[in-house]
Amino acid sequence: MSAKDVFRTRFDAASIVLIPACIGINYIGKLFASVLKLPLWLDSIGTCIGACLGGPVIGGICGAANNLIYGLTTGDSITLVYALTSLFIGFFVGIMARTGFMKSFPRALVTACVAGAVAIVISTPLNIIFWAGTTGNVWGDAAFAATQAMGMPLVLSSLVDEIIVDIPDKIITLIIVFVILKALPEKLTALYDASDKVERL
Amino acid sequence: MKSISLYSDNGTWLCRVHPFTKVMYAVAAISVPLILGSLWAFAAAIIADLALLASGKVLRRARALIVFSFTIIATIFIVRSLFGQEGSEIMFSIGPVNVYREGFMIALRTGLNILSMLLAFAVLVLTTNPQDLSTEMERHGFSPRFSYVISSVFNIIPQMMGTMSTISDAQRSRGMETEGSLITRMKAFIPLITPVVTSSLITTRERAMALDARGFGAKIKRTYPETREKHRGDTAATVILALIVVLSILIKAALWLS
Repeated sequence: MSAKDVFRTRFDAASIVLIPACIGINYIGKLFASVLKLPLWLDSIGTCIGACLGGPVIGGICGAANNLIYGLTTGDSITLVYALTSLFIGFFVGIMARTGFMKSFPRALVTACVAGAVAIVISTPLNIIFWAGTTGNVWGDAAFAATQAMGMPLVLSSLVDEIIVDIPDKIITLIIVFVILKALPEKLTALYDASDKVERL
Repeated sequence: MKSISLYSDNGTWLCRVHPFTKVMYAVAAISVPLILGSLWAFAAAIIADLALLASGKVLRRARALIVFSFTIIATIFIVRSLFGQEGSEIMFSIGPVNVYREGFMIALRTGLNILSMLLAFAVLVLTTNPQDLSTEMERHGFSPRFSYVISSVFNIIPQMMGTMSTISDAQRSRGMETEGSLITRMKAFIPLITPVVTSSLITTRERAMALDARGFGAKIKRTYPETREKHRGDTAATVILALIVVLSILIKAALWLS
């Protein structure tokens, strides 16, 4: 697939309809995670599905729109700050998916690590600017407190805090995305196939 | 069906104010203290937010919104002020616990910032119909696709919640355990979420076809069935708020240069 194909995006009805569906999936993922009391967020399943189906641009839009809509309508302005993180997760997962890194299970794990790394790189500065370095996750913040007490610099502690939370979260998210994508019927995935060509008579 | 939006029309003046004015207010109330950086500016913004919420009769509902942030603020206070770096000044001690001044001030600032953000958004969120906001944005030049995404989210989520409870019941009646150890709960996640997600993705195909059949991709100018009645002073308020933001930038720049 050429570089042009990787970023090719169609703004037809199918792609636009995908965005709210993915935002809904993010919400459901987060809700199930809290109902089952899992110590993970699992709120980017939809963004990753959108990225895998629609490509990097749709993925990025799904991610940013997700946080902006929740932030602006449910008053949860904490998610608003992380719109940037979601945007880049969607974008990079989209690139990975278009270059064939969602085709098999081991490759999906590579995508998960990329998504986790992106989340860490973007979120850590945001955590430091807005929440004085904490993430709001119990396990991560315990590590933050411990490393701070050991005398580690703020940036490093905040990084450890993020790594503990984000890497497991993204690995589980991408495993779920992989399972779901395999279960989708072809008549749906064919709508979003980037390499198809329209042939004219 | 339960809506995820927190808006309800209680007939006060704040609900009739144009959505853009409230967006501008939220922008100003959040950015001015951040630009000026003084604790007094945060306090002033929080007092302004509270006054608006009170006059819009939504203070009680705003309380529910900010309560959850107290755990986050408390975490920040504990983590930052009790686990200070070596050599930082001790402000006071409670028994064996030392409270560090530098960390405490950072935590105070962050806490006030969180509160000011939440309250400013509460003013917007509790009194603005999201449908109203997206229609107005569309009318002022935003893409109709964009406002479709917003209004569609509000329809899709209650629908998915319905599917979710149906599937939870179905899986539970087959004997799936949703409570117990972490492993049990982890294992329950996939059979719960996969059917909800797959079914909602499959319906997108039909929705796309239905939209296409109704001219969703049409490129002509659209018309709108209802018109908003103008609220007095919307333009004036927006201009004043914008001026306050500009003024605070100027003050900060003047302080920085001197």
